[in-house]
Amino acid sequence: MIRYLKIYKECIKVDFATASTYRLNFFLNCIIMLLGDIFFPLITVLIYGSGAGFEGWTVYEVLLIQSVFTMSTAIADMTFHGIMWATMDLVRNGGMEMVLILPVDTMFILMARTFSFEGIGLFAGGAAIFTIAILNIPAPSVWEWLQFLAFFISGLFVMMGIGLIMAAISFKWVGNSRIPEIFDCIRSFGKYPQSVFPKAILVFTSFLIPVAMIAYCPAAALLGRGNMTMFLMILPCVIFLLFGIFLYKYMVRLYQGVGG
Amino acid sequence: MDNNAKDIITVKGLTKKYITYKRGSGFKESVKALFVREKVPVIAVNDISFSVRDGDIIGLLGPNGAGKSTTIKMLTGTLYPTCGTIEVMGYNPTKNRKNYVRQIGAVFGQRSQLIWDIPPLDSFRMNKAIYSISDEEFEERVSFMAKLFMVEDLIKRPTRVLSLGERMKCEFIMAMLHNPKVVFLDEPTIGLDVIAKHNIRDFIRRMNGMGTTFILTTHDLEDVEQLARKVIIINKGVKVFDDTIENLKKVLGAKKIVQLTLLKEVGTLDIPGASILERESPLKMTVSVDLERMPINEFMAKLSEQCAFSDISVKEMPMDTIITHIYQSKGIEQPDK
Repeated sequence: MIRYLKIYKECIKVDFATASTYRLNFFLNCIIMLLGDIFFPLITVLIYGSGAGFEGWTVYEVLLIQSVFTMSTAIADMTFHGIMWATMDLVRNGGMEMVLILPVDTMFILMARTFSFEGIGLFAGGAAIFTIAILNIPAPSVWEWLQFLAFFISGLFVMMGIGLIMAAISFKWVGNSRIPEIFDCIRSFGKYPQSVFPKAILVFTSFLIPVAMIAYCPAAALLGRGNMTMFLMILPCVIFLLFGIFLYKYMVRLYQGVGG
Repeated sequence: MDNNAKDIITVKGLTKKYITYKRGSGFKESVKALFVREKVPVIAVNDISFSVRDGDIIGLLGPNGAGKSTTIKMLTGTLYPTCGTIEVMGYNPTKNRKNYVRQIGAVFGQRSQLIWDIPPLDSFRMNKAIYSISDEEFEERVSFMAKLFMVEDLIKRPTRVLSLGERMKCEFIMAMLHNPKVVFLDEPTIGLDVIAKHNIRDFIRRMNGMGTTFILTTHDLEDVEQLARKVIIINKGVKVFDDTIENLKKVLGAKKIVQLTLLKEVGTLDIPGASILERESPLKMTVSVDLERMPINEFMAKLSEQCAFSDISVKEMPMDTIITHIYQSKGIEQPDK
């Protein structure tokens, strides 16, 4: 465990060294990521400003969901989403051998090596909207904050599970640039209050691919809307992550390599 | 190397098969391939068996696409064999991968372990953490190998500003930081100039002298001649030769290929042991020289008596000619020839 922490520390240092080498690129990427993902909550403000909105949800409640989604995306981008891009690239150009000859878990080293500080801008943006939203809703209790934390971590499990499944698919579906788009499409269901979806989609977003846990459930907990179903949803989140880990490890075994 | 050394690598009946898809060229074929693709089974490595003794240097030779890299990838545990067994230092590379790869090193000539934007020294630190190398050992190994390669200053510059030869030296340091017992080298001198090749070969010899076993794949016969004691030649996935370098030379007859650019056209060459293999143009020809009958210095002296030339290069025998010689020496028909 200590060895893995040391490796992770080295990877963070490498990313910092790379970011400081290409400073302009780093700052631009931070800003572009922030603008790209912050645009969505701004649309919510405009929709509510025009008198429309999601029935039963105030603008600050919706902003709370979307800011949690933004923070979760930022953490995922910084810590484990890189595995999807890295696997796609390594499988396509045959560089996976260089990872497989290392005496560490392949999944771990790819996540560690793709650690990126660039999501820090996005996280800061999400945190800013979260603060605004939280100041405009009734103050949550300690119990609600604890629920929020449990659901938020479970949401990260879902994000990691989706990322690993997409990365695993790239072992067979070599060089398919649409994989990240499928990934975005699936997780985007987590951006909205789940009450706007029909029942069939709710089953999908709650238990099959529990994307509701990414933002809706943690925000609902802070709004005092947490319930037993949400606690039950933690189990499919853990199963989803375990399935992602299993599938990725299984697909690594099927790696064929490319010509020399 | 100790003649009584034990086998450190044993390979039996190693086979790798995979499926690829055939797709024709042109627009019509591209459209057809959108809906139907013909599966083509490929046998990259077919029933190969061999052994390597502790402290040896083995050359795995073969033309492009022979199955050398696939074999070495299976030996490193990065590819799973379809069938057959591999045992390296008592490990099965496909089982307990993490423990196994801790004992080995690998340099793939066309891939890099170095991180592009940071100095090699920082990449070495990454491997220090991965292999849990102590601070003292790390400092000692880096300074020893950097001195051996004369790259003490280079390892502090960003990798992207280094030349291919300099990067390759750093790749070797990276691969050998954890003092592996066995090192696999896949085309380690590919694309390097004469001096860089010499440095790399010298380094391999020095490390071998300290007990490291090397298995190198190459299609450069010079690598094998200068380094290996034993040669395994693979052609179309099948082992065609497995013996000492001396016995390979006996099969090949110690021949060199000389490429000449003449100043004036010449009809024939009256030099014992020399024969014209090919005339590319009236002023360009390729000559085969049997070194047992005509040492290269005597050949040069006689050649300058008989003709005037503006350029000359002495090369090793091409790999396809070597393979043909081996099949001929065994009296068997060469596949697809």
